[in-house]
Amino acid sequence: MAGASPHPAVHGGKKALDAELNLVPFIDLLSCCISFLLITAVWTQIAGLQVASSGGPPEPQQNQEATIDLKLLLTEKGYSLTMPGAQLDIPKVAGPDGQPTFDKKALAEKLKTVKSNLPDQTAITVEPEDAVAYDDLVSTVDACLGEQLRNVTVAPLN
Amino acid sequence: MAIVAPGKRPGIRIEKSRVFGKKFVRTKKLGYASLMLTSLVDMFTIIVIFLLMNFSANGEVLYMSKDIKLPDAFHGAQLDRAPVISVSGDAVTFDGRQVAHTADLMKGDVLNVPELEDALRDERRRYDQIHQNEPDRPFRGLVNVQADRRIPFRIIKRVMFACNQSGFGNINFAALAKGSLPRDKKIALK
Repeated sequence: MAGASPHPAVHGGKKALDAELNLVPFIDLLSCCISFLLITAVWTQIAGLQVASSGGPPEPQQNQEATIDLKLLLTEKGYSLTMPGAQLDIPKVAGPDGQPTFDKKALAEKLKTVKSNLPDQTAITVEPEDAVAYDDLVSTVDACLGEQLRNVTVAPLN
Repeated sequence: MAIVAPGKRPGIRIEKSRVFGKKFVRTKKLGYASLMLTSLVDMFTIIVIFLLMNFSANGEVLYMSKDIKLPDAFHGAQLDRAPVISVSGDAVTFDGRQVAHTADLMKGDVLNVPELEDALRDERRRYDQIHQNEPDRPFRGLVNVQADRRIPFRIIKRVMFACNQSGFGNINFAALAKGSLPRDKKIALK
């Protein structure tokens, strides 16, 4: 049982070279490890999206000259990306359930364009309307963080 | 002809044979069966490795509730242990203690939430008291906010306002991490 190898025939008083491993304490140890790890296991990975609220102190940008005041409005019509002298509307699109949803893919592309034109830009202000759901707010902040706009400030639109 | 028990009956010559005769000797079978433990140990080892790979030393940072379905995030960082404000469809809780009804926060135009602000100020006082002799651990104003995915921003902004009023400026929105969460990527505190 649980031997390392079958017993060879011993002739002439020679000792067998193969030793039999006792696996029972090893199994005990593994059972304890499995029990401990199962009890302490965290099955859901929680991520944190750090934001600053409008009342808090904004993190100073490294190069003020190469950055602009970038705002992303979340309205019932969709996204509206505003910067000094320009405004870009990204209307809602039909979601999988037919309901209009925010076009996160188009937003990511626009933010990528902005980031490629302004590599030092790290700040963006997200301004949702009161009716915007937490899900949409988080996915918008997530899209901003994905495009290396790390200093996200959340402020109410109205 | 003599009556014999049913079964194989070898011939006399084979029965007396040293080689083949043993096959026909009837003995009792042993009651013990040997277990193959090697495959069991292999399986245990694989399970231990799998669980060790998923092991998180941080433990549970948030109070997971079935009333709160978190949204997904792909670019989040690991959450630090901090006070938790939970917003479900029914109640707003601070560290598991209910401080307001969600329906009440939908009413009115004022932004402040006095009960939540009091709880946050108490938490700050407690932190300052505990760490008053530790100058290397200043108050960072870190708070984790977890809300159900359908909660409107109207409520979130009141929670954020309460956090700001109480000196908790580092707000982390909690979400379910999709993709691999980098272990070394911590939230940069201001």
